[in-house]
Amino acid sequence: MLIEQLINGITLGSIYAIVALGFTLVFGVLGIINMAHGEIFMFGAFIGVVVTSTFKGPLWLAFLAAITVTAAMGYLLERFALRPLRNKQGVSHLAPLISTIGVSILLENLSHHIFGPGNHPFRASFAEISFQIGSITVYLVQIVIFVISVLLMYALSFWLGKTKAGKALRATAENLETASLLGVDVKRTITMTVIIASAMGGIAGILVGMAFNSVTPQMGLSIGLKGLAIIILGGMGNVKGAMAGGLILGLAETFVVVYGDSGYKDAIAFAAIIIILLIRPQGLFGQKISA
Amino acid sequence: MLAELINPYYLQVASFILINIILGVSIYITLSTGQLSLANAGFMGIGAYTSALLTLNFDLPIIVGILAGTLLAGVFGILIGIPTLRLQGVYLAIVTLGFGEVIRVIFVNWESMTKGAVGLSGIPHMGRELLNTLKDFGFDPKILGLQNNQFVFLAIFLILLGVTISIIAFFRRQNRSRVGRAFAAIKLDEKAAESMGINITYYKVLAFAQGALVAGFAGALFAHVLAYISPADFAYHRAVEILIFAVFGGSEVIWGPVFGALFLTVMPEVLRFISEYRYMIYGLIIIIMMAVRPQGLIDVNILNWVKLKTPKRRQKHGTSSQKSI
Repeated sequence: MLIEQLINGITLGSIYAIVALGFTLVFGVLGIINMAHGEIFMFGAFIGVVVTSTFKGPLWLAFLAAITVTAAMGYLLERFALRPLRNKQGVSHLAPLISTIGVSILLENLSHHIFGPGNHPFRASFAEISFQIGSITVYLVQIVIFVISVLLMYALSFWLGKTKAGKALRATAENLETASLLGVDVKRTITMTVIIASAMGGIAGILVGMAFNSVTPQMGLSIGLKGLAIIILGGMGNVKGAMAGGLILGLAETFVVVYGDSGYKDAIAFAAIIIILLIRPQGLFGQKISA
Repeated sequence: MLAELINPYYLQVASFILINIILGVSIYITLSTGQLSLANAGFMGIGAYTSALLTLNFDLPIIVGILAGTLLAGVFGILIGIPTLRLQGVYLAIVTLGFGEVIRVIFVNWESMTKGAVGLSGIPHMGRELLNTLKDFGFDPKILGLQNNQFVFLAIFLILLGVTISIIAFFRRQNRSRVGRAFAAIKLDEKAAESMGINITYYKVLAFAQGALVAGFAGALFAHVLAYISPADFAYHRAVEILIFAVFGGSEVIWGPVFGALFLTVMPEVLRFISEYRYMIYGLIIIIMMAVRPQGLIDVNILNWVKLKTPKRRQKHGTSSQKSI
């Protein structure tokens, strides 16, 4: 029982971690909170539903379609909601946040009109397959989700740490102007970051669809706010912190449902935001921020 | 003649416009110190639920309920304001957003008290209670040539109109006072303001608490005008709606959010086919406004221009006004 819940929690947590990575990449490079990330994630989930349920396509095609669509949305987001605000005189530092809130509201209601409200089931062909290890039941879906998450996190760490593009990204995150002086194509790096973050959101969307077997237009908001909670927990712009924060939140939520009041499951994330920001604003793994 | 003009539907819409204007003012106050608070929907919920529960369970007069709801929201504003002042900019926005969500989850889950997601119904209606009280004194709306229904909605509208005008007048005066100048200084540059001897903690908490107080007041009014509230009324969408009043109308001068609330409440009522796409349009408005005109439609320049175009005032002030411009 305990081990099963532990597995559930880790599955949930690894999805949260991927959502949070999308937030943390954008925050690290641009210093802004992308409130539309949750909605892009939700669109990824819907693309998955459309490909697998409506067109009866295979799962890999769903992943491919979701990545393509969400990457394109990431580009549009950067082009129309973020770029016009950059380097503009007299724009308050709150402007990008407010602008992405606008995008999130737009996308949520757009998906209401395109896909309709209510619950859309997500059927993975192997959803029912499970293994018995001793007295423990493990679903294949959970293993798939976990493996994809770990692969994604590993790929991201490798990309950030070992490749030239990743180096450029880290340099841009450190200081935009200096990086630009040193020959980094800052504009391209920023666009690429938003696109990659959005594509990761799309992948996370399909994983959540598989894990919960349901996709709704509202899920973007709730998962998006949780992703926000996680990056605050783990430290803003901190990649490892986002992973750890995701796992902590996933486990905490699972155990509250088992041992506590399931109604307050959604409040954990927000209570965590408030407490962390009041006690340790730089996050569990973050360094001191100078506001 | 008068009786035909007084259409309960128009009065109802007008009442919602006035409540939205009060909400717009509430976000303007915190923004005037440069802080973005997304908790105003939560404070509105606290005001609404407090007042509704007090009047429902203890048969208190509506006015006592409204006062209690307003004050409780203000107290929460101080409690949230003091610790969150260590945070700035986006961090404050997120904490206040989180606070709003926590409040909503509590409303949904505290079923013994709030009836959960179903919401509270049968809350005493401000206009009807007033009519009943007046009837006890032998008053009949027919004396004024009005139906009962018309009188109820007219009374609500007039009360709200008076309240809204007083609130706007108060904050316009405050803006010109020592407090208002301190707010403006903090908004321009916190460190410079502090070095000039302004107690920034005090003024920031004051702005935050005033915003909470006003939002709670609007919430309490909302409960007694609609007679039905549910947690969904005070969720993220409400927070964004309040935000957009200030984003669209402008947050530099108090007339900005007032105009924003007025325009954005009337628009979906006048253009019925739009109301289905309301939030999509809200989203577009936010994106476009931020890219094109981040200070909102109405700013100081526009106000000065309007003043110049009003010839009467100009003559009255004579040459002195020209000097000041």
